[in-house]
Amino acid sequence: MAQMKRGANVALTREIPDLKGLVVGVRWNAGAETVLADNLVLAAILCDRPGHAISDESFVFFNQLSSPDGSVQQLTEALDGDNEQLEIDLADVPADVERIVVVLYVNDGPAQRRTLGRLRSCVVRVLNLDGNTELVRSEELATGLRDETALALGEVYRHDGWKFRVLGDGYANGVADIAADYGITL
Amino acid sequence: MPIPDPASAPPRTDLPWLRHRDVPTPAAAAPDAAVPAAAAPTDAPTDAPTDAQPASRAVADFFGGHADRPRRGAPAVPAPPTPPAPASPPPASPPPASSAPASSAGSSSLDLDEPTSPAEPPRASRTPLAPPASPPAGRRYVPPRAVGNQRLRLSPTDPTVTLTRLQTGIGMLTIEAAASAEVGDLRIGAAYELADGFTSTVQSTQGNRHAPPDSRRPVLVAGHDRFQRILLDCRQCASLRRMVVYAFSEARAPLNWGGTLTVETFGGARIEAPMEGLVSGDVAALVSLYFVRGEFVVRAEMQTLFGDVRDVCQAYGFDRISWVDARTPLD
Repeated sequence: MAQMKRGANVALTREIPDLKGLVVGVRWNAGAETVLADNLVLAAILCDRPGHAISDESFVFFNQLSSPDGSVQQLTEALDGDNEQLEIDLADVPADVERIVVVLYVNDGPAQRRTLGRLRSCVVRVLNLDGNTELVRSEELATGLRDETALALGEVYRHDGWKFRVLGDGYANGVADIAADYGITL
Repeated sequence: MPIPDPASAPPRTDLPWLRHRDVPTPAAAAPDAAVPAAAAPTDAPTDAPTDAQPASRAVADFFGGHADRPRRGAPAVPAPPTPPAPASPPPASPPPASSAPASSAGSSSLDLDEPTSPAEPPRASRTPLAPPASPPAGRRYVPPRAVGNQRLRLSPTDPTVTLTRLQTGIGMLTIEAAASAEVGDLRIGAAYELADGFTSTVQSTQGNRHAPPDSRRPVLVAGHDRFQRILLDCRQCASLRRMVVYAFSEARAPLNWGGTLTVETFGGARIEAPMEGLVSGDVAALVSLYFVRGEFVVRAEMQTLFGDVRDVCQAYGFDRISWVDARTPLD
């Protein structure tokens, strides 16, 4: 399957009318950079309009593994060689949720600061929840990263059904930037 | 207390995982019992009461997080004690557990209850008298929060604050003892217990700065910037079960208790626990921090006692630490 470039989108439910759920898988390689690998966090944000999370509880990450409605869930152990996976049950996504943005950030903890520029590779892919077949996969998103500490990887959004778009937008200030961008209170 | 009309009651939002399990192939009664379970979360309002969320999410964490997708169809996960969805629209409050056997007989692979089912009717008849499982809205516990970059001062009457899941899991917590030289040579440390059961202390003056000791990726780091401080890595929040921050005098001189212990979140919320109220004593427990269902609960302890670091640790239940001396744990 062809790799999707940044900004490219695909009409998932038009291609597969009986698509019930998605798995968004992310695989990255930080090489020998263990501090970076230890502090990478994948999160999904349920938004009711561009750049606005419906609530703080709809920030799905390792310490909040499910959105309140249960439509978006993160697995504590990803399958198929991905580093992290999110499951999305399309039918259960609340009607006011227009898009689900998947982001990656470096946690800013006591460890030494690292940037995403040290990532060797980072690819986001979408699987059919029913059967695990890969539907699409992004191009290499690690190229061109330098001092970014957060990255919007892609989004699943409504537009005559459900579509997926590859984003690849970087943030200089980690999850703080993301929270500010999406109206999330940390 | 009036029981809400099932027809107008809000849908259940606390059983999302039920939808993930395939219904066993139609055994006569199963279909109608299964439909509400599958449909309920679909029309769940997004403004569901936040009080109900921690519990439901804890369940979802467990079932969602460890869900083995390829084998999901198989009823490998044993049915939890929660009753299956009834055949009518879901009730507002969870039905008492005793009503469960009525519908479970035909719907699940767990048929262990079948032999005892004749004994159930008496329990079922008690159902109307049983109090609803969820307390009335007015009496529900709403934990105090400190959101945004708010400041919250803990006091003997309001000693606790509960961090949100985001505050607990993002960035780090900075625990700092803001005290001047007037107080004396006040130093802080913390006794901690990790999720794997390991227990010890961090105390920068003693040289044990990391928890666990010699870790490449410590959960706690003791040190000092402007004041004595302890950093907590929120990426590993689930690795920490509990900790108690204590204060002592490095030279074992009497302290003129004062200053403030602060806990600052990544988002800038600052929790302040004043130390002015402390009286006498050689050492003091300042704040405790517990990891409870994905949220850190911070409590101002503010309790002095005579003795040394070992005594304050033992007083707070850290009795599995072995000691080299009254200040140095044996790691």
